[in-house]
Amino acid sequence: MVTQESRTYKLAKAAILAVLIAVIPATSPLRAQGAPAAAKVQEDPLTAQYNKTMGEIDKKQFPAALKNLEDLEKKVANMGPAMQGTVCFHRARTFYLMKDWVKADTELNTFLTKYPEGTGRIIDENDNMRGVAQLTLVEVYANQSKWDPALDLLKMLRTNPLVQPKDRVNAYTLSARIVEEKSKSGSEEEKKQALGQAVGLLKQVTGGGLGTPEAREGGMRLVEVYTKLGLVKEAEQLKAEIDAKSTGSPSEIVRSNFQRIEIGDARFEAGESATELKTKEELYRQALANYQGALRRATVTRSVTKAVEMKQADLDKVVKDNPKPTPEVTEKIEKARAELESFKTIQSDFEKNKDYDAFISYRIGLCLLELKRPWEAFVAFRDIFENNPGFSKVSGAYYYYILALREIGRNSEAQAKCKEFLAKYPDAEEVSMVAVILGSISQDREEFEEAIGHYNWAKANVKKIDPATLEEIDFRIACCHFAHVDWEKARLSLDEFLKKYQRSFAREQAMYMNALCWFYQGKFKETKAGFDEYQKAYPKGEYLADVRYRQAIVKFGVNPPEIPATITLCNEWLRDYAVSKVESVVNQVPEVHTLIGDAEIRIATELDKDISTADKNLRTNAEPAQKAKYKAEKERLEKEKETHTLKAIDAYIAAARSGRTNSNALDFVLRELGKLLPGRGEHARMRDLYKEVYDWDHADPKSLNYLYEVIKATERMGDKPEFAQQAEAVQKRFSAQLAAARKKVDDLLKSDGKPADVAAAKAAVTTLSTELAAELAVVDKARQASVLAAKTEALGILSTAVAESINDRKQEGSEKLVLFLAEKLARKVKRVKPGAAVDPSAYTVANAEDEITKLLRLEENKDSLIAQARGFFAKGQLAAFLRDPVKSDFYFKKISANYKAEELSPTILAIVGDHMLAKGETKNSEGYFQYIMEHHRSSEYADYGFAGLAEIRLIQKKYKEALELCAEAIDNGVVMSKEKDIRFTKARALAETQKYDEAKKEFEEIAKTKEWKGESTAGCLYWLGVMEERQGHNAEAVAYYRRTYQAWKKYEVWSAKAYLGAARLFATKLDQKKEAKEIITEMLSKDRIKDTPEATEARILSAKL
Amino acid sequence: MRPAVRSFLTAAFLCAATQSYGQALIFKGGERWEVNDPFKLDTSVPPKPVSDPKKGTISSIKGTVVRTVNSGGTDIESTRKLSEVISIVWPNVDKLTEAQLFVSRGEPNKALDSIEPIIKFFDAFKKTPGSLWLKASMVKLDALDRLENDAVIGAFLDNLEKNDDGSSPELANKVKLARLMQRARRGEHDTVISEATDLITKMDDPDVLARLHIVKGGSLLATKKYEAAMNTYLRVPVFYGAQAEHLPKAMLGAARAFRGMDSPATKEQRLEEISNRYLRDLIATFPVSKEAEEAKKLLPKEDRLAAEADAAKIKDAAVIPDATAKPDAPKADNANNNEGNK
Repeated sequence: MVTQESRTYKLAKAAILAVLIAVIPATSPLRAQGAPAAAKVQEDPLTAQYNKTMGEIDKKQFPAALKNLEDLEKKVANMGPAMQGTVCFHRARTFYLMKDWVKADTELNTFLTKYPEGTGRIIDENDNMRGVAQLTLVEVYANQSKWDPALDLLKMLRTNPLVQPKDRVNAYTLSARIVEEKSKSGSEEEKKQALGQAVGLLKQVTGGGLGTPEAREGGMRLVEVYTKLGLVKEAEQLKAEIDAKSTGSPSEIVRSNFQRIEIGDARFEAGESATELKTKEELYRQALANYQGALRRATVTRSVTKAVEMKQADLDKVVKDNPKPTPEVTEKIEKARAELESFKTIQSDFEKNKDYDAFISYRIGLCLLELKRPWEAFVAFRDIFENNPGFSKVSGAYYYYILALREIGRNSEAQAKCKEFLAKYPDAEEVSMVAVILGSISQDREEFEEAIGHYNWAKANVKKIDPATLEEIDFRIACCHFAHVDWEKARLSLDEFLKKYQRSFAREQAMYMNALCWFYQGKFKETKAGFDEYQKAYPKGEYLADVRYRQAIVKFGVNPPEIPATITLCNEWLRDYAVSKVESVVNQVPEVHTLIGDAEIRIATELDKDISTADKNLRTNAEPAQKAKYKAEKERLEKEKETHTLKAIDAYIAAARSGRTNSNALDFVLRELGKLLPGRGEHARMRDLYKEVYDWDHADPKSLNYLYEVIKATERMGDKPEFAQQAEAVQKRFSAQLAAARKKVDDLLKSDGKPADVAAAKAAVTTLSTELAAELAVVDKARQASVLAAKTEALGILSTAVAESINDRKQEGSEKLVLFLAEKLARKVKRVKPGAAVDPSAYTVANAEDEITKLLRLEENKDSLIAQARGFFAKGQLAAFLRDPVKSDFYFKKISANYKAEELSPTILAIVGDHMLAKGETKNSEGYFQYIMEHHRSSEYADYGFAGLAEIRLIQKKYKEALELCAEAIDNGVVMSKEKDIRFTKARALAETQKYDEAKKEFEEIAKTKEWKGESTAGCLYWLGVMEERQGHNAEAVAYYRRTYQAWKKYEVWSAKAYLGAARLFATKLDQKKEAKEIITEMLSKDRIKDTPEATEARILSAKL
Repeated sequence: MRPAVRSFLTAAFLCAATQSYGQALIFKGGERWEVNDPFKLDTSVPPKPVSDPKKGTISSIKGTVVRTVNSGGTDIESTRKLSEVISIVWPNVDKLTEAQLFVSRGEPNKALDSIEPIIKFFDAFKKTPGSLWLKASMVKLDALDRLENDAVIGAFLDNLEKNDDGSSPELANKVKLARLMQRARRGEHDTVISEATDLITKMDDPDVLARLHIVKGGSLLATKKYEAAMNTYLRVPVFYGAQAEHLPKAMLGAARAFRGMDSPATKEQRLEEISNRYLRDLIATFPVSKEAEEAKKLLPKEDRLAAEADAAKIKDAAVIPDATAKPDAPKADNANNNEGNK
């Protein structure tokens, strides 16, 4: 069970059953109540007294009735036995109604033994009431726990052919009940046996069909017994049969409904105990279906009320139609009255149960939680708060509601509800659990201070926290301090915890964490003491592997570090744990390797000092033997350093390779290797390592970074160290010769040598220089070829990576790779100034486009729509990188003309949509933005959808819709990179709907935001001018227009509009034609503006002036 | 025998009796006439109504039922007025089921073709207990709602209101609901939300309640109150799960509401995935409904193809299956259903 069943739930179930018993009157008591008044007695003083007595019984005036019956007994002493029997029967009945079981027992036994003819035909023409008396006696025995006489009597009734069939049926039902009652004090086995016996008895009742009320009553009882025995299928089947025969009486409606709930409960319980997931689900689903099928309170009430009204109407009609009723009619009236009363009792009892609907919602919610439909469970529990806030078990509902909130990821809301719960229900049973949930939500979100606050709040404010929860909270507080790297507080909390909870479940962990606190504070002496204590207390402890690793770190951390000991401990650790499958140990493997690497690097670094000394000695000692000695020492030390460095590299690489599940260790060693390997020219090793890490999981968010490193290292591999060495060797080789040749030239010049000799010497220098250049060129050519080959290889790797996801529309990372690729290729293109001659061998745009087609494997993916779209996107982006807007537009248009929104990824939808909108093509972009809004609302391009669509609505003059979109985006925080655009659209929509004050605030806010300074500032100033103009504030409008074209002239779109606006105002409203002309002249003198549509308008205006 | 028991047994006998016969009219005084079902057709081409000479034949136009009884070798024809009928026993009309299916499949015109004759036929005794007139009228309303032709719906509702003398609260409630649906289509969402909220507290018929939640959910969605819309739509599968015919609309609405709630801030709730899950469930569980078609449009292409493949596996696509094995809600009383038919 995912949700722990609370005691509240159990109580809820019990409450429902209590209501069930209360509202469903058993047959036997009704039988006693239902005995009609004497009909055959003449209306003489005796009859009058008899009728009065019956009335008193009906009105529950039992003492008066008994007194009258005593009097009647005397008066009928000389009359026939039937009359005496009738009085005796009523006395018994009165005692029964008074629940005086002892007297009722005596009286009924007297009636049955003394009057073999019973009441004769006095009460009922066809019933002498002996059967009724016997059944009532059974009930009386049962109430006194006299099981055996009750069962004997029932056996007699069941087997006696003289007993009326309906009474025989009732005897079976009652027998089943007695058998069940009798077993209540017995063992579980006896109870089960009794239920089996009850099934046997009740099957006798239903065997003859369900046509009579008695049979249906027995059938309903059998449904209950089936349910108790877990035979839910049989119960449901029988219940359906009974429902089909239902007469619509209130008792049947109510009972049927409660049985449905009971069957649901049985299914739910079976679901809880089922072990197989599929069976479990099926049982919960069936329970849910039963609960959903149960009628709601309003429906039951309406049905019962209607039945009462109909019964009342029937009664009223009979009474009205028979002002002087015959005895038969009187009997009919009495029966109708009794039935009406019983209906009313059911009605009032049901009305008293105010929790009915809430219990159904509660059960539905539980089923939905179990079925892992938390959103629906959330709705079910919320219904209780909204419609039944007074629900008696509302605390239980809160608890499960909180669980549902957690399941759906609404943690802040869950915390608020936890607090509300703890404040409202400090005594509730779930208080402890809720207190823990409150803090654990913050703890899970790594908001540790907040979590500690919640835990402390719970400790201080929740009165009924059980000791186990208090212990858990104390431990969680320590854990929060620990996770929050507040070592001192964590240690103190753990110390306190260890003192307070000597037998705690978390003692081992607390002791280990306590030592760790010292460790992280760098107090190695205390750390060692702490870990030693732990190892002593828990020689096979859960944290032993970590403790041994930390012991190694301690050795490394002490001053001076005990490096050999550290390495030894690490190697021993690897020997013992390297093959472990325990997750925490697996995570530690890279850390241990890293420690070895760190230790080796430390040794290598420490050798630097000795190497430096040896080098100094080598340089300062001229004596050959000494020099040779220091040289040898330096070489030895350098070799030793190299050995340790190599060991460190190996250890780091081992750490990286084992670091798949430990990202911190992985990041650290990759960083360290990034410092070591490239400097040593070991790009291939770097590339191989990153390739291995990249291949672990291409969907990992970090995988793109690894891929970039692979590409970077691959590219660097081209520039091999041997090229530098070769170039150096060549230069070295030529430098001596060149020096000698130059010296010869100098000497000849100094000694005034012959010009021919000088010329020859100079020529020799030139020849040598040329040879040097030629040899260096050969090396460089080889280097260039190698670099090119490496770059090609890198592109190949990138191409493989892109090709892997190019067919998958949902892989958003694919576009990032496409962009990366386009950028790389754009860099390869040799750009030339317009008009300059193009080198025919140069890498051109066409080459780049061909290469991108090849690298994206577009030919291979001809049938993939998204791959082709990504191809166009890549070429469009390539053109954008090469500053070719026409070509960029060409490719983006291809996408918008040929692709439906659902065929594209959010990135392409957003960028192409934005591009098309900027070009004024709203039709396709609208579809794209709409699709983002519907399908990618949580993507990083969601804001493009809102911004684009709002802009389109503004263009379409649908200002209200534009405003709604902007408000939705802002309210839900979907603004991101498009915040400026969304706010600008909102401001313009407000302006267009004459909400000038609000619009002004928005425009001013945008204009004053530093980060947005630029075109939007110009736009805002222009619009502020427009708004002033529309309000008739011409001077203010002109001021804004001026600010626009003077301060933001480079944004011709807005400055042209501002110029025109100002000129128009001067020419018309302000009647200053001269100023207007001057403005137009200035406007038309601007190169950026003179060809705009506004310039054309300005010329027309000027002509009119 | 006690009278109550006697009457129960009579009722039980009646139940048994009706199950073994077909449709019948019960006249004042308890006389029962078995009648021909004019909607039951034979296999001839073109099909003709199946007519049993021993049963009565109803003429809605004349307002009579005519029956021929053979007495002593002589056929005696007797005629009675339909106004004398006090209750009707009409267990099933295939055309009505067919019309409901057409509505759910989004073929309202076909639904109207099927339902009109039933409404006309039962018009003569529309308020007689057991009449299928109200049920058929509701199906017609659903069909008209699908057509979104407000003028026709308005006229039909006016006609229904004219016939409402207050004796059938169910009719009055359904007219109110239909009017609300009309207002929702006109975009009066605030009014719809407030009236639906009010009506929900007053109604207890699960069918009407499910419909009210759907109408309210629609208006909340239209006004971009996504959270409230989700909460309202989901109440249908949560509390009225037995009303299977309303589940497609509710699931589609809930999926749309989840889409609306989705934003980068709620990314960790994975609302788009939850929305898609509801859509996929809808397509798989109600593959031939109109809402399934809508759901397919809303699903991302890949999910849609997968959902269609799943739906194709459901063999008996012509019948809308239940979402889960849910028993029918127990009948509260005999007043608002065809219990009298048993």
